[in-house]
Amino acid sequence: MHSFGYRANALFTFAVTILAFMCAIASFSDTLNSPTPTAHVQVLSINRFQKRPDGDDEVSMTFNISANLRSLFTWNTKQVFVFLAAEYETSKNSLNQVSLWDYIILEKEDAYFRIRSTNKYRFIDQGSNLRGKDFNLTLHWHVMPKTGKMFADKIVMTGYRLPEVYR
Amino acid sequence: MGWIGEQVDSIKSIQFRQLLTQAITLGMIVTSALIIWKGLMCVTGSESPVVVVLSGSMEPGFKRGDILFLHMSKDPIRTGEIVVFNIDGREIPIVHRVIKVHERPDTGEVDILTKGDNNPGDDRLLYARGQQWLQRQHIMGRAVGFLPYVGWVTIIMTEKPIVKYILIGALGLLVITSKE
Amino acid sequence: MDWQGQKLAEQLMQIILVAFAVVAFFTGYVLGSFQMMLLIYAGGVVLTTLITVPNWPFFNRHPLKWLDPSVAEKHPKPQAAAATTSKKKGSKK
Repeated sequence: MHSFGYRANALFTFAVTILAFMCAIASFSDTLNSPTPTAHVQVLSINRFQKRPDGDDEVSMTFNISANLRSLFTWNTKQVFVFLAAEYETSKNSLNQVSLWDYIILEKEDAYFRIRSTNKYRFIDQGSNLRGKDFNLTLHWHVMPKTGKMFADKIVMTGYRLPEVYR
Repeated sequence: MGWIGEQVDSIKSIQFRQLLTQAITLGMIVTSALIIWKGLMCVTGSESPVVVVLSGSMEPGFKRGDILFLHMSKDPIRTGEIVVFNIDGREIPIVHRVIKVHERPDTGEVDILTKGDNNPGDDRLLYARGQQWLQRQHIMGRAVGFLPYVGWVTIIMTEKPIVKYILIGALGLLVITSKE
Repeated sequence: MDWQGQKLAEQLMQIILVAFAVVAFFTGYVLGSFQMMLLIYAGGVVLTTLITVPNWPFFNRHPLKWLDPSVAEKHPKPQAAAATTSKKKGSKK
């Protein structure tokens, strides 16, 4: 019974079991990391603010994002997906979340950045409710590990307001 | 000659018993796999708790052949989450990230727009003709965990069926011929 | 491979693999490199394969000593066994 094949099989099974165990512990070690990211967003200008032919409001804006997400990186981090979303409430919807901009950070060194950008995705409302609307800008991040559990969190920044008239 | 008949009978009975034992072992393997799968379905609340990534549309986060663990909870869906959804008329579910959410106040119904991290535009082109938004019923689950490369086994098996038959044949032969 | 060798091989496999796993994990964690962990562990697996899978001579240091046939015949076998052997001879005739 104790043949070449038997030993090879036993070795393989045991090695894979231990490997799975190591990956599980590595994923668990991520929870010991308590990150302290910081972020600041400034809306520089509203470039365009119109009602589309189909009746929905559309906004185009330019903003400055400065953030330090270095503390999110651990040894088990493959990438951090970071994005900025506008969040607001309308009479039709209790929550509207619209992604404006995103970025994939692969290296820890790139996680401290300052970017000026216009919205990468179109900021379109469901309806025509955006005039004079207060909204939050939220910087979300989604940490993808090399193996194991994914993490996500956010920083909410309040006190932004759209103009009263189309331009 | 009575003795020979006895021997032959005993041999026959041994083989019969062995055959039975092997059949039971095989049945145990199959059923335990089924139990694990169904158990996962119960725990995660998703109809397919594990999916294999088939396309590169979420690179560099998910590559072809990676495995995702899904979870389907009552929690509302928010932007940034990676969801697996089914489009009517498409067989293969898609794994993409939510970029837009509009939620109704009282009913909790949602309109969702998704996009692959590696795709230039959103997913409206992938949706059914004329479909603008995903609703709750399209969502099969959200990805919570990740394991690299393991899914290649299933990709190879589905794309090169001969490998699958060889593997199943070899395993079956092993189970039938192995004693103890 | 003899009985003692089998036991030794099995124990060696488990000890070496676990030791490499522990070393790999801590090296990886301290250096902050997942790749390092995998490399060290892969090295460990290869080493273990080389040590425990082939039938090395040192697994065969305790060969089983079967009784010599001449010695065996001096010690009578238990009743049942003796009966079957006699039957065999009978049927052959």
